[in-house]
Amino acid sequence: MISYLVRNTFARILRSHNAVNIVASSAFKKDIHTTIPSYELMEFFDSKKNWTETSIRVGRAWKLDELRIKSNSDLHKLWYVLLKERNMLYTMEHECNDKMKLFPNPERIDKVQESMNNIETVVRERNVAYYKLETGETGERPVEDVVNIFGLPEKYEKSEHYLPKFMNTRWVRPYLEHGFTNSAAVKRFYRLNREKQHNNDRKARNRDFNHVQQLLKRFPNMDMEKLKAEYPNVDLEKAKRSKKARGHYFPKY
Amino acid sequence: MRLYGFLAKKVGDLTIKYSNFPESYVKRSYEQVYWKNPSNYPQYPKAQVARKNYRFTTNRPWTSQFRMQNERNLHRKKVFLEPVGEWPIFKGDRVEIMVGKDKGKQGIVSQVIQERNWVIVEGLNTHIRIVGKNEKKNFPGITIQSEAPLLVTTDVKLVDPETLKPTEFEWRYTEEGDKVRVSMASSRIIPIPKTAEETMEYKSKEVYIENLEKDTVADAVTKVTFAPKLRTFEMDIMEEMGIKEDRVPAQSYWY
Amino acid sequence: MSTRWYPIYQRGNPQLRVFLPNFWMKLVRPRGTQLPNIVHFECSMEMTKHDIKNYLNKIYNIPVVEVRTKIFLGKFKRDIGKGYIVKDDDIKNAIVTLPKDMKFEYPDIFEKAKDETEEQEKALTEAKKSFQNYIDRNKNRSDVPSWFSI
Repeated sequence: MISYLVRNTFARILRSHNAVNIVASSAFKKDIHTTIPSYELMEFFDSKKNWTETSIRVGRAWKLDELRIKSNSDLHKLWYVLLKERNMLYTMEHECNDKMKLFPNPERIDKVQESMNNIETVVRERNVAYYKLETGETGERPVEDVVNIFGLPEKYEKSEHYLPKFMNTRWVRPYLEHGFTNSAAVKRFYRLNREKQHNNDRKARNRDFNHVQQLLKRFPNMDMEKLKAEYPNVDLEKAKRSKKARGHYFPKY
Repeated sequence: MRLYGFLAKKVGDLTIKYSNFPESYVKRSYEQVYWKNPSNYPQYPKAQVARKNYRFTTNRPWTSQFRMQNERNLHRKKVFLEPVGEWPIFKGDRVEIMVGKDKGKQGIVSQVIQERNWVIVEGLNTHIRIVGKNEKKNFPGITIQSEAPLLVTTDVKLVDPETLKPTEFEWRYTEEGDKVRVSMASSRIIPIPKTAEETMEYKSKEVYIENLEKDTVADAVTKVTFAPKLRTFEMDIMEEMGIKEDRVPAQSYWY
Repeated sequence: MSTRWYPIYQRGNPQLRVFLPNFWMKLVRPRGTQLPNIVHFECSMEMTKHDIKNYLNKIYNIPVVEVRTKIFLGKFKRDIGKGYIVKDDDIKNAIVTLPKDMKFEYPDIFEKAKDETEEQEKALTEAKKSFQNYIDRNKNRSDVPSWFSI
């Protein structure tokens, strides 16, 4: 319904000899640059009438479903509009902080960022669909479940190499082959780690139990089903019987 | 990760809805992070030193009053909250007060503070506050009548639309599949009022005035321009811009 | 694949292109005086000089002659309560030279706001004065309503 952005933009190809090409889809390029007023640099600032404004109200961020119905080129243009908007907001925020002024509506930055994240999600969805159809794989960076050198399960994100594994003598990841390293030190670490985890679980359990006891003390007429739903691991009967759960009134149970 | 356990959702959904802010903004405006490891560097674990418990009050989390009430060295007693399950009472509901000096009176809910299970009923359950009293300047101060919050679980009850008596209610589904509140006394539906969708910025979505300089107009948003093609995003953009690329990437290996 | 994943380059591969750059840049006031055709930016730490040039050229259509970059070390501070040391993030600064005939002066954004605040202060002092007058006038007749006067 209401969203942030879109000014008239149209695409243009711009090439360079540098290593990485930013394929930008942005406003028209001026081939001859004129002197004095540099409007392109003024794009880093808000429009002049907003400079002294104390509140600049805007709509919400783009939602995923709204972006899904847009074509790739629309998304591409939208990305650059948002990118420029974000740069503008950063510049204005910086200047406001510098001059000890209040930056109006700082949530605009979050709205732009959210829209950008959503665009990226949609683009990724489309690419995954293409690769799944064409190759049967997602085309995402492959992730493998491995046991790391400390004997703990880990998600290992693979990286891209131009040499195959057997030729690449400089690449060393022994734990991928050996898995759990069977040394005394690792065994000790593993035991201590399990102990720590166990203690954490125990503390969480006790914390919940104590909390429920206090709740029973304060709210004796509480809805027990809702309590059970919120703290499923707590033994309510045991909590009711305990001394801590007794309030300054005649016990009901 | 355990470290982030305390950063789990604390601010209620209704509060975020009312503020009309992105959730990330609400979070960064009330959180107090004193130290944080640089993010997006593989060598640093996700660790931070931050305030763990916040005292939520009638002051909203993004306000400066909230920050003042949660100063760094100020720690207050834990607040116990009765589990409410699905949130029962919304802004604009007619409720009857069950406790206090206005017991038995009916009023309209003007504010919902989900973090504390509170509702504020307009003009009821009030006390008098004296603000700006100054003995030296011989200023008696200004008296303000302010409403005290009421617990949603015990202190107020919804009013039945037929009998106009306080009643219990139940969440049920209609035949169309909508979730509604049904009064136990008269089995009538208690509709969720229109004012429940009121936010800080607008009373309802329809009356929102677009900021023409910044916002996209609604028609441009709802227009469908997507046409499915057997291309990735990158291929589509390159074709549209006329970038020709015949070179085939050399084989690479993932490990 | 994530649009943030950067493929490796081998000779003969297609040119690497960034379709959705995530870099940010902000125009900042230069520290000290500066020639009129030099502009200072703060930018993402990951940006190289080439990236900065490309970014300004392609997205903003700003002709760039030269880019120099500098990384300012973040400040070290001692935490007031606990005493541990906290370091601010480093900042990458880009000093961009425009062509000789281009001029840029950092605009004074709060020029108008200054006059407004002065006016507001004036109005506030006026209001304070009139309120004081009102109190002085009603000092000895606390039982008379305020509207009752000649």
